[in-house]
Amino acid sequence: MSLDRRGVIWGLVGVAVTLALTFLGSDRLVWFDAALLGYLFGLIFAVFGVVYRYAVWIRRPPTAMLNRRGWDAFRQRKARNVAALPSLVATQLLTQGFIRRRSRTRWFAHQLVFWGCILAALVTFPLTLGLLHFESVGQQADRYQVFISRVGTLRFDAASTFGWLIFHALDIAAVLVLAGVFIFLRRRLRDPGAMAVERSGDFLALAGLFAVSVTGLFLTVSSKWLEGRFYSALNTIHALTVILGLMYLPFGKLFHIFQRPGNLGVVYYKRANDEGPPAVCRRCGLAFASAQQVADLKEVLPQVGFDYGMDGGGNYQDTCPRCRRVQLTLAQSARVGGFG
Amino acid sequence: MRYGIDDSPVFVIDQSRCIGCEACVQACMECGTHRGQSLIHLERIDQATTTQTAPMVCMHCEDPTCAQVCPADAIKQTEDGIVQSALKPRCIGCSNCVLACPFGVPKYIADFDQMMKCDMCTDRTSEGYAPMCASVCPSEALWYGTIEKFNETRSGSLLRDFMFGRQEVRTKVYTVVDELGAGALDVFAPTRSHWLDDPFGLEQEALDG
Amino acid sequence: MAKLPLTEQQLIEAYGPHLNEAPPGGWDAGLEIDRVVNTHCCFCGQQCGIKLKVRDNAVVGFEPWYEFPFNEGKLCPKGVKRYLQGSHPDRLLHPMERDPAAPGGFRQVSWDHALDRVVGEIRRIQQTYGDDAFAMLSGVSLTNEKSYLVGKFARLGLHTANLDYNGRYCMVSAGAGSKKALGVDRSPNPWSDIPLADVVWIAGSNVAETFPITTSYIWRARDRGAKLIVQDPRVVPLARTADLFLGVRPGTDSALFGAVLHTLIRRDWLDHEFVDAHTLDFDDAVAAVADMTPRWAADITGVPAARIEQAAEWWGSSATGMLLHARGIEQHTKGVDNVLAAINLGLATGKFGKPGCGVSTITGQGNGQGGREHGHKCDQLPGNRDISNPEHRAHVASVWGCDESEIPGKGIPAQEIIEAIHAGKIKGLLSICFNPLVSSPDSNFTAAALDRLEFYSVIEFFLSETAQHADVVLPGSLHEEDEGTATSGEGRIIKINAAVEPPGEAHLDWQILLDIAERLGKGKYFPYKNTQEIFEELRLASAGGTADYLGATWDRIENEMGLFWPIPEIGHPGTPRLFEGGRFFHPDGKARFHGVPFKESAEVVDDEYPVWLTTGRVVSQYLSGTQTRRIAGLVAQYPEPLCEMHPQLAERIGVTDGDIVTVTSRRGDITLPARVVNTIRPDTVFIPYHWPGAKAANQLTNRAVDPISKMPEFKVAAVRIARSPGHVETTDRRDLELHEGPS
Repeated sequence: MSLDRRGVIWGLVGVAVTLALTFLGSDRLVWFDAALLGYLFGLIFAVFGVVYRYAVWIRRPPTAMLNRRGWDAFRQRKARNVAALPSLVATQLLTQGFIRRRSRTRWFAHQLVFWGCILAALVTFPLTLGLLHFESVGQQADRYQVFISRVGTLRFDAASTFGWLIFHALDIAAVLVLAGVFIFLRRRLRDPGAMAVERSGDFLALAGLFAVSVTGLFLTVSSKWLEGRFYSALNTIHALTVILGLMYLPFGKLFHIFQRPGNLGVVYYKRANDEGPPAVCRRCGLAFASAQQVADLKEVLPQVGFDYGMDGGGNYQDTCPRCRRVQLTLAQSARVGGFG
Repeated sequence: MRYGIDDSPVFVIDQSRCIGCEACVQACMECGTHRGQSLIHLERIDQATTTQTAPMVCMHCEDPTCAQVCPADAIKQTEDGIVQSALKPRCIGCSNCVLACPFGVPKYIADFDQMMKCDMCTDRTSEGYAPMCASVCPSEALWYGTIEKFNETRSGSLLRDFMFGRQEVRTKVYTVVDELGAGALDVFAPTRSHWLDDPFGLEQEALDG
Repeated sequence: MAKLPLTEQQLIEAYGPHLNEAPPGGWDAGLEIDRVVNTHCCFCGQQCGIKLKVRDNAVVGFEPWYEFPFNEGKLCPKGVKRYLQGSHPDRLLHPMERDPAAPGGFRQVSWDHALDRVVGEIRRIQQTYGDDAFAMLSGVSLTNEKSYLVGKFARLGLHTANLDYNGRYCMVSAGAGSKKALGVDRSPNPWSDIPLADVVWIAGSNVAETFPITTSYIWRARDRGAKLIVQDPRVVPLARTADLFLGVRPGTDSALFGAVLHTLIRRDWLDHEFVDAHTLDFDDAVAAVADMTPRWAADITGVPAARIEQAAEWWGSSATGMLLHARGIEQHTKGVDNVLAAINLGLATGKFGKPGCGVSTITGQGNGQGGREHGHKCDQLPGNRDISNPEHRAHVASVWGCDESEIPGKGIPAQEIIEAIHAGKIKGLLSICFNPLVSSPDSNFTAAALDRLEFYSVIEFFLSETAQHADVVLPGSLHEEDEGTATSGEGRIIKINAAVEPPGEAHLDWQILLDIAERLGKGKYFPYKNTQEIFEELRLASAGGTADYLGATWDRIENEMGLFWPIPEIGHPGTPRLFEGGRFFHPDGKARFHGVPFKESAEVVDDEYPVWLTTGRVVSQYLSGTQTRRIAGLVAQYPEPLCEMHPQLAERIGVTDGDIVTVTSRRGDITLPARVVNTIRPDTVFIPYHWPGAKAANQLTNRAVDPISKMPEFKVAAVRIARSPGHVETTDRRDLELHEGPS
């Protein structure tokens, strides 16, 4: 398989931006933690992979069309669309009601994993890039200040609840993710239907999340209850799972994290289309979709190798889905004795 | 009955035999991969003039239009040619597939903001069992079995090539025609008439005075 | 005091019908199950095999039973959704007593209290008005064991002659006709004969909607090249594909059959050898059809003469053929005549006792076949014996261990029981599995009758519209809660297996009857510890009768996936096809022709009521809908009755599809949406009958009955139709999916 040239360029740009961010964010590497170098490599690989794949994906004809139309729609009524954005982000991306309506259990599990991952990413990536670090405040051994790059922000007491939360953020994230992973696994194992449509990637993603979370928690176990025994070995194992996990990101199921925001574009696209004229079925004469979307499809279809043009003029794609089914039945019945 | 891999059972849809009873619609809901959601289609063609109904399962195209127009790359084909429902994490609910599918198969489920479609009951067929709809269909308009069994017990020939305008589409699912000679099933070919044009002999009566 | 304790609406709020949409725990509950139970669908006489999935004493789903030979996994929508009748919010869980002051109109009572009350009232009424003033009505949703038990319970427990069953509205014309002509009341053929027929003639049966599985048998015949003839006032779904359609006017089937026989004789498409060797009274039949030319019949039936001659030619000149008929020709005041006229066609052409040959009814109700054999008809004892025949009485008395004189004589049939209640002659009633308020003709009359009962008790699992009138409600068992046997429309005895136990305080039906009998001091006649013991007694009681079950054991029935009666001895293979070798069941072995002159229906159209009404079913509903109106998916398919009419009629009265119309007969009226379709005769309207109250088609139908079978005339009434204010979209819900479109 040959690499896509534009994808590679975009990937390299992504890597460069990440490195620049690290360099600048860590105040010219002053705050860069060399112990996290492995993580940085993993992250850079992930950035390259994700950006590369995204760049290839976004140029597929239907994706490119939707991307263009989504932005067109967004710009068309910018004020309204910007105003709608926060609630769209909340419902479509954060609270994920569309999963809840499908299945409450599945939604609960997904929320656990989702927020666990968000939390972990918010801690890990800035730490890795050196964007975030902690300093003790003066000589007080149990008081710390959070630094974002060079800028000191809030201070907290290590023994306080807040402090506990800060230092155990990754443990909390791991527990959330593990709980979600267990619910997912239980569903999959109990439901023959889910098992049947299982793709190997589905289990791999769960296994990866499991490994990262468990090895991370072991670090805490080691330092808290085992006086730090096995810590360095565990640390290496954890680092390995995280790095492998990061490297898996562009390839597997988790890539949906980067695709999903496209849903917002779809929402804007559909809203704009609803305000435009409808497509009218060439057979029954009823409106069945937006004229814009049907026109867009007629443009995309030849690009992906289809010719639904009719010899007498017009396009098969101007038939509504119901009439397609009906017409097929009539045509078939005509070829088995003609009743109907 | 349970089929082995060597049996290579096929799915056959003979729309002309549909009696519109909706056993398939009800049974589809019981399919393990989408419990509670019926994905098969069943239309009345024109309630006022005929009791003919039109059932439609996914035909599982060899080169599925739905997958090609999916911006999210969410529609996948298995090795044995089953075109699956949109991958839940990927589908962004744009409905391109719903509109582009030449057979009118995928359904956009507004509640889930997602496309779902017939996957030939993957949970069943992968274990050697017939899909739900073809298991229950009382008239055998939807049928699942070996080609030998079909030829042994039923009239007509199996066909899986369709013309939609200039686009020819080959599918995994077969339909039935009397003669293969006429080639692919052209969905906009003119249809023939039948006694049903005058079921009660009313026009004849008028002629007789 | 069998008046409604509250208004209909309040009762519906309390006891339903509510809709059950999803299995226990919801669709998302996963599919883990404890076990799978092989049993049968309860929703029609085809008795399709089905596997029920069980978890935590609840039926949570189904699986096709591919190995069961009759249906090989096939099911209609009712079969698919049948499992949702269990774990239903409307399920009756406790004995209840009528109490207008109680919320819902009934108060919960103990079993002891309920049974004592029932027995007290039986005693009071019988002592005051005589034994026969307490009647029992039963139904053929019951197994053979329960049907048998009800027959014995009514005669020896209640000691009343007045027991009858809801098959009176379904199967009796076919039964009476078959018995007269062939000497036995059973389909002559296993369904595996249908694919062997060169002509398949469906008369008065909307097979696609009422016996969907039979469709596949018909197609197997057609795949071999068989011709399909459909005779119906409507272009029913199967008719759409038929080779020949006979769009007969309601109530004229015997004219059409007569003209066909006339043509067979005139063209000499007869099997003289068969007629001579195996039949009697052919001359009577010939004489009756002497003037019934196709031209004459065309005027009466509305079927073009050429089509009648075509039917005769195909039927007369093909080597094999099957004529299958159902309620369409049977639910008439001349239902028996129609059946006899159909049988004449089979006898004249020698189409009996051979593969692919037969004239057969398609049994409608779940256990419509077995339930009409073992003694819960008013004139019948087990084994299809005659309650008036001293020898038959003596045999049954010997099995029952009673004196022959203890068995009451012939009682009155169902419709007459309702009339007798209305007339104040019958004062008390116990019913099980019968919802006459919906299923009897002239429902306003039925409602008035129920109000006149001094005491009414029901054994039911849901509070049916009739059960709403009860003084005491005894919660019985659902099909999947008890085991036993049933006999399908083919005459195949099959095994019903229990999947779950009755919930709450509900009891098994047979135990309730035993408890009542015990309290009536008749416990000695009912010593059963389980249903199998009832079956063992049924075998002995049926032995020597026409419906002889002696050789059928539960083990064999289950292992051999059903056995066809008669099975007169242990080890007998059963009798899938009757009359082989031309031996019929009359003592002389010969079948009888009958002269069938054409008679008009009890009510005919006139200037005041100028339109024919015919009633029937839809595929998603079963009988009075007590079960199927409670299952969401089935209700969604066809939520309420529509009045089907031809565009010509619609135009004449100025309505279009979806306009509200009022249909009025001499007995009542109904207001409902019009469905305008050109698949029905222009002089006829059709309304399905599954709904109660203001939506009941039976408000319009006629109480006139067949003089022999006592079957009411559900299929013909005269009505007038007028437009009423309002309009609804009757557009099929499947069309809506499109118009909402992807958004």
